[in-house]
Amino acid sequence: MRIICPVKRVPDTAAKKAVEPDLTLDRDGVEAVLNANDEWSIEEALRIKERTPGTEVVVLCVGPEQAQQTIRKALSYGLDGAIQVSDPGISGSDASGIASIVAGALADEEFDLVIMGNQSSDARTMLLPAMLAEYLDLPALTYCTKLDIDGDTVRAEREMPGGHQVVEAKLPAVVSVVEAINEPRYPSFKGIMAAKSKPVVVKDLQDVGLDAEMVGLEHAWTQVLEVTPRPPRQAGDKVEDDGSGTVGAKALADFLVARKFL
Amino acid sequence: MDFAIPEELTALRDSFARFLEREVRPLEAGVAPELARGEAGTPAQREAAAEVRRRACREGFYTAHMPESVGGWGLSALGVALLVEDAARSGLTLAGAAVGPPNPAAPSPLLLGLPPALRDRYLAPLMAGATTMCFALTEPEAGSDAAAIRTTARRDGDSWVLDGRKHYITNGARADLAVVFAVTDPERRARGGITAFVVPRGAYAVPRTQAVIDDSDIAELVFDGTRVPADHVVGEVGQGFRQAMGFLDAGRAAIGAHCLGTAEWCLDQAVAHARSRTAFGRPLAAFQGVSFPLAESKAEIEAMRWLTYHLAWQVDRGGPATPDSSIVKLFDTDRAYQIADRCLQVFGGQGLLAEGPIEARLRHLRVLRVVEGASEVHKLVIARALGLA
Repeated sequence: MRIICPVKRVPDTAAKKAVEPDLTLDRDGVEAVLNANDEWSIEEALRIKERTPGTEVVVLCVGPEQAQQTIRKALSYGLDGAIQVSDPGISGSDASGIASIVAGALADEEFDLVIMGNQSSDARTMLLPAMLAEYLDLPALTYCTKLDIDGDTVRAEREMPGGHQVVEAKLPAVVSVVEAINEPRYPSFKGIMAAKSKPVVVKDLQDVGLDAEMVGLEHAWTQVLEVTPRPPRQAGDKVEDDGSGTVGAKALADFLVARKFL
Repeated sequence: MDFAIPEELTALRDSFARFLEREVRPLEAGVAPELARGEAGTPAQREAAAEVRRRACREGFYTAHMPESVGGWGLSALGVALLVEDAARSGLTLAGAAVGPPNPAAPSPLLLGLPPALRDRYLAPLMAGATTMCFALTEPEAGSDAAAIRTTARRDGDSWVLDGRKHYITNGARADLAVVFAVTDPERRARGGITAFVVPRGAYAVPRTQAVIDDSDIAELVFDGTRVPADHVVGEVGQGFRQAMGFLDAGRAAIGAHCLGTAEWCLDQAVAHARSRTAFGRPLAAFQGVSFPLAESKAEIEAMRWLTYHLAWQVDRGGPATPDSSIVKLFDTDRAYQIADRCLQVFGGQGLLAEGPIEARLRHLRVLRVVEGASEVHKLVIARALGLA
């Protein structure tokens, strides 16, 4: 079995973010990390690999040269190799553009499963898994909380409002996972050291069958019109208890009653 | 000169930070009420520390300092120092149980000097976190002057017979085995007459524990005709003193890193307090009587950092660590104590409370100026290197 794990290099979620004049995110001014949701997809791929001898897991990352750091981080979990798509023309691509690039990168690859996080912490469109499945003409099993592979079938539980669905599809398929699916492991020192020497195949737009007229900011299907910083949080009411608990408890009860929670 | 921390060590620190947050912080929360009351070494704390050790063994952090041949990572001295620093800087009391050094209870490379069969018997359970050890050198009549130990070992057929008394042995009350240093040739003593032995618990007596400022597991060990098989010699007969000094030397970067991380944590707390606490209508930080000592502390922390990293770098290069290891032990333990004292002062009366962030650290740091070579011994080593003694 061969599993592809697309991952994204995103600004550290704790960092204060700035926006460029063209309303794209300033990615150079903040520390970048591996998208947290992609750690769940990596973990799930590794668990399948551990259950299924002979499985190869390959990370795929669309990003500039600096994304090598993100790729090494992903490899340090114990993945086998990497594909990077890097090209100046990619900058500013929207979800559709990136999905077409990932699909192009996979056109010549053999794989049984694509597992990815359901969203990135910077853009949060949640569009990519479904778009990628569409470009690849493969089944999409999204928002998965449980995965089982049985022969040439993948069965998944999907998170739904108010419950869950059980769905299945023939392989190959595209799967997106949510936080509830697992607890990611810690990269070990052996994994970190091994990641330094694992193969990374670097491709440009031409290699994936695209050109700069098809992707990038200018050719994006969606356009960001305005960016507004979140307003600062208002200070809340502070209640000082007298040590007996009665003052604080009464204030809390009054608060809940006033808002009809009680 | 390249002062950059290697990328792989930065990645490892990131992994360790996650481990501390996910695995250690919840366990710490379970014992936080006891710690706030100033209670140390309770059964719940021991169990929580043992659980941290087991989890850190599972992930590899606890045995990172040991070679790959016995299941460790063969992590560099710099890598170990960074983990030790980060454990201390986390402010988590239990984090110290997640890394081996500088705790003598953790598996020691000294045990690589055992025959393969004994490595399986003694080292493997230590590597799994199932057992702990202790380093038994100090005696009632031989502290700083370690070469003056009186415990003897005499050969009797296929065995060695040990007689003597060790004291102030860290983890002595709990250890499953002791590495014991004994005189095997009274004529040669430190110059080829002291030998190290591995002695399992049960072969020696632990008549009493010796509660000190911050630890209740310090103990006295008594060897009264204790018989150990001849293959229980650690390394070579007569090389024990050299091994003991080498062991202590190798641990200096870790002790320095522990002091560095503890000082950084104290400063973090004091800075946060100085910025948030107001007095006379202004934040404490606006008073130079508060901000200047903290600025001095920052400068000293950076000096500690680079002395410590440099020593680790020297150890990794295989270069001579003397007198640099003594400089680190002397400087870092002394500065960390002074920094913690200044930081405590910023908290005023709150700083004196057991539940405050500094009080327990200050007591702990005071101990480090005495153990593993008192500051005066290290001054002696440095003076000798200057040709003064």
